[in-house]
Amino acid sequence: MSALTRPWGHLTLAGKIILPLVGLVIALTLLLLLGVATGVIPALVLFGGSLVGANLPIVRFIVAASAILLMTVPTAFVIIYMEMKFIAFINMRLGPNRIGPWGTLQSTIHGFKVLAKEDFTPTGVDVPVFTLAPVVVYLSAVMTLLVLPFAPGLVGVDMNIGLLYFFGIGGLNVVGLLMAGWSSFNKYSLIGGLRAAAQVISYELPLTLGVVGVIMLAGTMSLNQIVLLQAGSFLDWFVFQQPLGFLIFFIAAVAEGNRAPFDLTEADSEIVAGFATEYSGMRFGFFFFAEYVAVFILSGLITVLFFGGWNAPLDLNPLLNWAGLSVNTGLDFGRLGVGLLFLIALGPVVGTLLLALPFWMLRSDWSVLKSLVIGFLLFNLLIMGAVGLYLAISFEAVVGLFWFIAKTYVFVFVFVWMRGTLPRVRIDQLMGFAWKWLLPAALLNLFVTALAVITVDAIR
Amino acid sequence: MSLPETVPFLGWAWDDLLFLFFAGALLGTGLMVVIGRNIIRSGLWMICCFGALAGLYVLLGAPLIAAAQVLIYIGAISVLVLFAVMLTQSKSGPVGLVFHHQAWAGALAALGIGILVAVVVAGTAWPLAETARTPSPTEELALLLFRDYVLPLEVVSVLLLAAVIGGVFLAKREREPEETIVPAEPARERMPAPAPAVGTRELTP
Repeated sequence: MSALTRPWGHLTLAGKIILPLVGLVIALTLLLLLGVATGVIPALVLFGGSLVGANLPIVRFIVAASAILLMTVPTAFVIIYMEMKFIAFINMRLGPNRIGPWGTLQSTIHGFKVLAKEDFTPTGVDVPVFTLAPVVVYLSAVMTLLVLPFAPGLVGVDMNIGLLYFFGIGGLNVVGLLMAGWSSFNKYSLIGGLRAAAQVISYELPLTLGVVGVIMLAGTMSLNQIVLLQAGSFLDWFVFQQPLGFLIFFIAAVAEGNRAPFDLTEADSEIVAGFATEYSGMRFGFFFFAEYVAVFILSGLITVLFFGGWNAPLDLNPLLNWAGLSVNTGLDFGRLGVGLLFLIALGPVVGTLLLALPFWMLRSDWSVLKSLVIGFLLFNLLIMGAVGLYLAISFEAVVGLFWFIAKTYVFVFVFVWMRGTLPRVRIDQLMGFAWKWLLPAALLNLFVTALAVITVDAIR
Repeated sequence: MSLPETVPFLGWAWDDLLFLFFAGALLGTGLMVVIGRNIIRSGLWMICCFGALAGLYVLLGAPLIAAAQVLIYIGAISVLVLFAVMLTQSKSGPVGLVFHHQAWAGALAALGIGILVAVVVAGTAWPLAETARTPSPTEELALLLFRDYVLPLEVVSVLLLAAVIGGVFLAKREREPEETIVPAEPARERMPAPAPAVGTRELTP
């Protein structure tokens, strides 16, 4: 054994990760070649294709569910990094700058750290409830993603009661917070759980009432339909017809997501992170994953309801057509024949050399290798840009996804900005604001909208 | 190759299988609500019970009612019940639940109700609905609620409002001076939640 263990011990950490991966890749390649040679894999592919074709709705649902589950991880990482960096900027600090360029890998490292920590269960907790609480919180956040329309055709399930489903499932996270708070056997946790219950129930009323105006204007509760109704220029967005509704909804959404200035449920400076006090390791991580995913989801919902979802602010196509810039997207690569092979083989080399040439000629102090690396990176950037442009022109969903994500991250930024700027409110201010200001304002908005809808109908 | 029309080996429709699943979950969780010794766990089982009921509503073609069930019964009512229990439970409170003192009476009452339900169900003819299930019942429900049955709806609203006002009145009533054990601090009077009592449960090894 020692003949094997000694070289292993000399490897660096990266080597210990890469070596098994290389072995795995070689083994998989061999298996694949064997499968293709014996005809097993083509048969399996055909069988799988027919299976997928016959059960399209089920397959679609499974794919959508897996996709939203997978997309929560990078989303949470990006938002955590954004928050660290922006709050550092607001505080006049540098923020994370050690791991990766400009610290971009910091939140990944946080994820690994949380995974590697001991998963500790304190004495006296109610074990099943304590274990299930993070799961409930995380799933309630993830399941709401299922009805969010990302782009034309890119929606998990297009329900006609999508909005109600959203609020119903999203409201379940308070159950998880209560479970965590109670089962932790700790008075700070219990206070956090109770605060969560009081806060979420109080703010659910203005949250839902603030949207009723949009539902009345749209005449539907399907989020996809609501987006379709806002097509056109940015003047068709519901925020211009429902400014008060948007304000109410935004404030209530901040409270619903337990974000500053309404983050009394965790309030680390007064009740030491509240419901999460007794949690450690990945269970603690799940709570915070859920929080950042919820920030993304609430921003996405604001975008969908009030800011036109995946609709572009201005439809540029008529302008482009007028200028004679309309592009024929029917590219047929098969037409190139053997030229395609040459393009694939020589294109990167020639492109890299061509892009490296000016650097090598203009900077006498740069070595050939350095200018080659820079040329290679530039070539990659150019190709990525070209592919992105091609996709954007050919597929409506790519442009839609771009606009949806861009608008959503604007609101994510506002959430982060508020956390960096505003002080936390007191619990009585929180409750008083919900019941004395937001709720009457939401009712007023409801009546004014109803009146406007009736008046407009009568005039027509 | 698609999924078979019926459940393999059993010959039931898939809907029936789902119904059995949800009905079983409903009965099981309902039983867990009343036989548990821990009142918070009973509340959590009640949430599962409501969830199973929402599943049944979806199966019956009423997704709107299912969503309302999740939104109101789970998201608001159960959470309020749990909230109240967590606030009021204290070490001096009763360890055993009310059900445990009245187990025999409760069992007899349950048996009686069960027999009654069985007799009624067996004695009623259940005709199939004539009209097909509508895919979007939201508008029809709205028309029924706000046009045909608007008066009963308003009466129920007034009743609920009266109940809310009565609850606030009872909770805010001035106490007798000898009953007040802890002198109320003026600054804290507006805080909605008094300090919750923790340490209600025994430490389980």
